[in-house]
Amino acid sequence: MENRIYKHLKKDILVEFRNRSAVNISFAFAGITTIAVSLASGGIRLDANIQSILFWIIIFFSGMSGLAHTFIREEEERTALFLAIHSIPEEVYISKLLFNLVFFIFIALVVSPLYIFFMHAIPVHFTHFCLTVLFGSIAIASVSTILGAIVSKAENRGTLFTVISFPLMLPVLWIAIMNTTASLEPGAAPGFQSILFLLAFSGVIISASYLSFKFIWME
Amino acid sequence: MKALRFIFYILLVVMMPVVFYMALVWVPPAMGLGDASRILYFHVPVAWSSVLAFLAAGYYSVRYLTKEDYRYELYAWNAAFTGLVYSTLTVVTGSIWAHISWNIWWNWDPRETSAVILLLIYIAYISLYSSLKERPGRGKISAVYLIIAAVVMPFLVFIIPRIYWSLHPDMIFNTKNKFDMESSMRITLFTSMGVFTLLYFFIINLMNRAAVLEKKIQEKIHDN
Repeated sequence: MENRIYKHLKKDILVEFRNRSAVNISFAFAGITTIAVSLASGGIRLDANIQSILFWIIIFFSGMSGLAHTFIREEEERTALFLAIHSIPEEVYISKLLFNLVFFIFIALVVSPLYIFFMHAIPVHFTHFCLTVLFGSIAIASVSTILGAIVSKAENRGTLFTVISFPLMLPVLWIAIMNTTASLEPGAAPGFQSILFLLAFSGVIISASYLSFKFIWME
Repeated sequence: MKALRFIFYILLVVMMPVVFYMALVWVPPAMGLGDASRILYFHVPVAWSSVLAFLAAGYYSVRYLTKEDYRYELYAWNAAFTGLVYSTLTVVTGSIWAHISWNIWWNWDPRETSAVILLLIYIAYISLYSSLKERPGRGKISAVYLIIAAVVMPFLVFIIPRIYWSLHPDMIFNTKNKFDMESSMRITLFTSMGVFTLLYFFIINLMNRAAVLEKKIQEKIHDN
């Protein structure tokens, strides 16, 4: 099974990087919005709270353009049926989840240094900031993988993905914003309770998605 | 079954006026808030019912995926629809209470935010269900969404308000896991929650039976 998951993942990465549409759009969106926010604020040093809100809004919308793409592409290019016959659903789910995790962590790796550089948002508690970005990204990627599979079967995919994913991602964004604010402000280091929340959230979503994915995929 | 249903209806018809009497007449008003505090005996049970609706929607969705019985798809939709109504009532009554106690209609308190997110999830489900119209897998795909939403719900309702400081009082237990309420208020609140739970099951049962009948009539018309 591991070998087949690796092959699916490799196929997704190769197809995505040959085509490059989703990757290019997401990275360009991330870069442009960071620079646009910095330009619009005119070099003013914003509060830690506002800094973290803007930071997560940029990350969220950069990912939104690409995260559902992995399933939508299979439907649009009519390869979904072949994949459904050829592979067991759990393999497909794990490979798509891994692809989205890699993709979203890449987005976060591009946005974070750009944001720190242009917005002068230097984290006081650097480890805490990095852990929040990492686990926040994992949580967003886990929710959007199953929701991407759901919208790939529906009409008006682009709009619907934002509508159905936003309420389920709000708890993650909420905790990640509060955590990022705490890591940007001087004072005592914030606790790891919220990091645990993000980890638990991802774990629960991945487990539920793993069990229910076959019902969407085999339709 | 019919006798059991009859006892259930009698219990509901007798107990609902009792709850209104207890909440509006018998229990003394909360100190500092006056008679307006009586909204508590309706706001908390309504919020509890919106959580019940979430659990019911998740349960029916799991049943639909495992049994593939068309009735559970209808039941899940009904549970989500009642959840939407109850969440809206929770937000409205909560906002009225916030205005009475804090002199502000809305302040994005963790509990208020959780209630709004629950409402948004129900709206998202209804949007998804409508956009899957005419698709054979509509029931299964939307059932998966409800299961994912039911899994997210405990994080919103039970965990987030306990991680972050909130103006909102702890509903039943305080941080020391002890009751922080006068005994008459506690009795009224629990009675109201119990009767509102009965009311929820009454509504969902009625809606489920009506939905199955409607489906059967439609099939009969279609066959003829």
